[in-house]
Amino acid sequence: MNAHPTREEDFDLYALGALEGDEKQAIERHVAECAECARKLAEARGRIALLALAAPPVAPSPGAKQQLLRRIHAEDTARISPAAATKAAAAERREFFPKWWSRTMAAAGVAAALAAIFLWTENARLNQRLEKMQASLDQQAKDLHEAREEAEMFESAETRMVALTPMPGHPMTARVLYNAKMGMVMCDVQAPAAPQKMSYQLWVMTKGGPISAGAFNTGSTGWSSWMSDVPKGTQPMGFAITIEPEGGMPHPTGPMVMTTRIS
Amino acid sequence: MSPQAGAQSRETDAALMERIAQRDESALAELYDRYAAMLTSVLNRILRDTQAAEEIMQDIFFQVWRTSSQFDAGRGSLPGWLAVIARNRAISRLRRKNPAQGEELGENSVALAYNLESEAAQREMMARVVGALTRLPEEQRRAVELAYFEGMTHSEIARHTGDPLGTVKTRLRAAVETLKRNLQR
Repeated sequence: MNAHPTREEDFDLYALGALEGDEKQAIERHVAECAECARKLAEARGRIALLALAAPPVAPSPGAKQQLLRRIHAEDTARISPAAATKAAAAERREFFPKWWSRTMAAAGVAAALAAIFLWTENARLNQRLEKMQASLDQQAKDLHEAREEAEMFESAETRMVALTPMPGHPMTARVLYNAKMGMVMCDVQAPAAPQKMSYQLWVMTKGGPISAGAFNTGSTGWSSWMSDVPKGTQPMGFAITIEPEGGMPHPTGPMVMTTRIS
Repeated sequence: MSPQAGAQSRETDAALMERIAQRDESALAELYDRYAAMLTSVLNRILRDTQAAEEIMQDIFFQVWRTSSQFDAGRGSLPGWLAVIARNRAISRLRRKNPAQGEELGENSVALAYNLESEAAQREMMARVVGALTRLPEEQRRAVELAYFEGMTHSEIARHTGDPLGTVKTRLRAAVETLKRNLQR
């Protein structure tokens, strides 16, 4: 039996998948023969598995559960009657379109229930944004001020969240967290990169016309999140995302790719 | 709230798995209600594809249905296993690799010191995990995310970030040490 790993964190690094080559093989060889270290590795796997909970929450579509239950029912039926299984599979295929329709509707419906969880994940991504903004002490001070505002926003009972609905042909998801009284808007978008030399731009739709809440691009990561200030007391009638020339425009000029209304 | 609190009036995962082994579809439906959102979320974060995420999530529950008799509650935590399997499958698909080790129910022991059987417990643990990650220095948190959600090894992270390999190793070691400390009860 080769030696015990010298550091306890080696088990976590193995479970994380960071080790490679000799380091990885040494752990594998050792835990195969050492019950105590196998136990430590199991505990490390459990700790690392918890990182799954850091993923931004996404609810499965409402039809997914029924589809799964039909699938297992079909499998059980197939054991008894292959013909019945074929019929069940055909029925599943016929429901393909309703499944997609329900998915689209679900995307808009789950947002409110996820608001509390969203606050945590949003905070994590905003920290990533801070990394890019640490060019000067002044900038850092500004960021800290924003962070305090975010905390106030998270705690405010008047903060609301809405999901935007994509226009056909635009595979995007977006959630907006806003507080009209504080004049703050936070947005979290998953989308393909904007066309070359173009940006996405978020608009707050008001009675007085659209107000820009920031131009953005998702780049290679496919994600973007940010916070914008709008005039305090602005009552949004809805939100929209358009494609505009790089850097954004004072008024919307390009095609709308996502939208939502607030009742 | 204690993470155990939500389980008091509910069947345990182990009890549900016993019913599933006896081909009780309602037990699978209940298990789905507990963990489908957690799995869909991590799958979607890794794959950035809601359709693919949902397909794999359903496949995992289908696998639970077919192989529930292999589950031994004494060898580990069901949500821990589900999370490990989901992550491994998503990373395999992301890298267009054949299924890797650790994609079968009960294949590797996963000991989770927390009960995640209720939605409230999951939400509480989610807050703790996100809080622990957020408190890490930015470069450490980024390294953990690249390893966990992108499936990168030490040297792949070094190539991705342009940092020396030794720096990445030190950074990630410090990160997992801090996470372990902060996630302990």
